[in-house]
Amino acid sequence: MENDKVEYLPEDAWRQWHTELLQSTVNRVYERMPFYKKVLDEAGIRPEEIRSMEDLKALPFTSRTDLASNYPYGFFAVPLRDIVRIHTLGTSASTNPIVLGYTAQDLNNRKWLTRRFLVTCGVTPEDIVQICLDPGMAIPGQDLKEGAEALGALVIPPDPLSTKTRLQVLVDFKTSVLITTPSYARYLMRHLVQNGLPLASLSLKRLILVGETLDEETRREIELGLDMETRAGYGVSEATGPGLAYECPCKCGLHLSLDHIIPEVIDPCSGQQLGPGHWGELAITTVTTRSNPLIRFRTGDLTRLNIEPCECGRTTWRMAPVRGRTDGLLAIRGVLIDPADTSNLIAMWAGGKRLPFLMVLSDKDYLTRLELWIAINEEIFSGSLPHSTTG
Amino acid sequence: MLNIRNLHTKYGPISVIRNVSLHVDEGETVCLIGANGAGKTTLLLTISGLIKPSSGSIVFDGNEISGMRPERVVQLGISQAPEGRQIFAPLSVLENLRLGAFHRHGKNREENIARDLNEVFRLFPRLHEKREQMAGTLSGGEQQMLAIGRAIMANPRLLLLDEPSLGLAPRLVDTIMDTIKTLNNRGITILLVEQNAKKALKISNRGYVLETGRIILQGKSSELSEDSEVRRAYLGKDYKEISQRH
Ligand SMILES: Nc1ncnc2c1ncn2[C@@H]1O[C@H](COP(=O)(O)OP(=O)(O)OP(=O)(O)O)[C@@H](O)[C@H]1O
Ligand SMILES: [Mg+2]
Repeated sequence: MENDKVEYLPEDAWRQWHTELLQSTVNRVYERMPFYKKVLDEAGIRPEEIRSMEDLKALPFTSRTDLASNYPYGFFAVPLRDIVRIHTLGTSASTNPIVLGYTAQDLNNRKWLTRRFLVTCGVTPEDIVQICLDPGMAIPGQDLKEGAEALGALVIPPDPLSTKTRLQVLVDFKTSVLITTPSYARYLMRHLVQNGLPLASLSLKRLILVGETLDEETRREIELGLDMETRAGYGVSEATGPGLAYECPCKCGLHLSLDHIIPEVIDPCSGQQLGPGHWGELAITTVTTRSNPLIRFRTGDLTRLNIEPCECGRTTWRMAPVRGRTDGLLAIRGVLIDPADTSNLIAMWAGGKRLPFLMVLSDKDYLTRLELWIAINEEIFSGSLPHSTTG
Repeated sequence: MLNIRNLHTKYGPISVIRNVSLHVDEGETVCLIGANGAGKTTLLLTISGLIKPSSGSIVFDGNEISGMRPERVVQLGISQAPEGRQIFAPLSVLENLRLGAFHRHGKNREENIARDLNEVFRLFPRLHEKREQMAGTLSGGEQQMLAIGRAIMANPRLLLLDEPSLGLAPRLVDTIMDTIKTLNNRGITILLVEQNAKKALKISNRGYVLETGRIILQGKSSELSEDSEVRRAYLGKDYKEISQRH
């Protein structure tokens, strides 16, 4: 089916499509992945018992811990030689990172999904697209670059430049679309104003905001301040990348890529599936991913689903902008930070000592910053502890 | 056009089709690939009504047809060209073709049959040349053409083809594949089972991969033909797994 046509399928066609995709996915992970064979056997579920989307509820969840504890290649559904790229996520001291592989088909899907996201957000082959993302968002940054290239735009990829240089690029290179996080967009806006750059002379006409929630207040501030259109995208690195959900011109929720994933909202405590309209944790089942298929992957993001067709004509379900996290992780400029990892890191620096600490989020110059306040005593201050390497 | 959900078919106590769901949209060519014994023929026979499913639903144009008698299924517009060219050897080519139209009725029956007969002869000029010859004396390729021609004579909207290229010389395989494409271009929707996965994926829009009675993979044909797993298992590319998974 054409990539764009699929977004307009009638409800019964979606039901057929999803039933098929769910069944073939469960059949495949059961046959190909010892991890899922084990959890399905333990749950007493045979793949042929999956009769409809309703039966999704019976399947066990997959967590980030499941991914990490199958380090390095235990979560792969295809032989290694079919993998053409690998990324690792979440390098912390205490646990293994999550290893994600991609077959050529997986990469292609990510590219086309990202392309669809950008096209829906109004990016055209005539655009000059500048991507400003922190190195912590290197993976989505790469996906966005490839997606924008696939649609034929001129792309200025993410780079570690200073804000001053980025602004110079923005002005001199006549950037027409900027892809960044909401907080960095506000920060840039502030700089533009401070440096007295005439906003009217900018070629910039559109901001695509990813990595953090774009709340209504921030959106208004940016749209009024810069006098331009903003669109939001939502992605999950473990799943299909930045094209997972995106806004259409109606800007009333993010359209989910139902041809590649089946989303659910669940009660984060009980795990019960919640109906449309209820706030809860987003869980995602991937139905086209070949390398690391996920069954009911718990994203940790709080949202709710709207299954009504949109005014734009798309029938794909929409999710509300993420309202927070269910797992105590902090999302800072598009990067997830686990306080437990921070504690481990401090202990490493302090020669194994657990020190009390505070994580303080500040909004200096509109740019979200994480400050770490660590309680130290004389022993540490005087440097009498055995020194460990600082990394 | 065709929506199959949770289909199970058994031979005695043995499950052969296990919870299969698939669909074919009007105008599509969809192919079904899978190893010998995967259940491809059984699935087609279940759709045609020649085998009764043990459970599940087959909806054709909004009508539930699972468990229907085969004649009814043909009348509704589904016709199957069987595996292994099951033609009537002692009858002539023309008689075989007319048999394909056996279930047709209504006004202008004869006119319509004559028109479709012409159509078949246009697709397969060889059948026209040999129309009076006994079907049993046709070559393998000609018998295959006859089997397809006979299925077309039922004036189907959905044509089920079971390994139409089986045992044919490469040149003839191409002719058959071209014919299938032509039929599709003329508005017949096609569900194609083929051992020649490469060719089948080339002429189809989408494909399903059947493994021991279960669908294990599906997608656009262009994607499936690039898929390492499909290539390894069904496109004859070095079957053996070299790398270790863990
Ligand atoms: N009449 C029957 N009675 C019992 N078992 C049968 C019968 N017909 C087929 N089977 C079994 O059902 C399974 C599926 O057979 P089927 O003919 O559908 O496979 P297929 O995918 O068409 O294979 P092929 O590529 O060899 O044509 C096989 O294990 C076969 O032995
Ligand atoms: Mg067969």
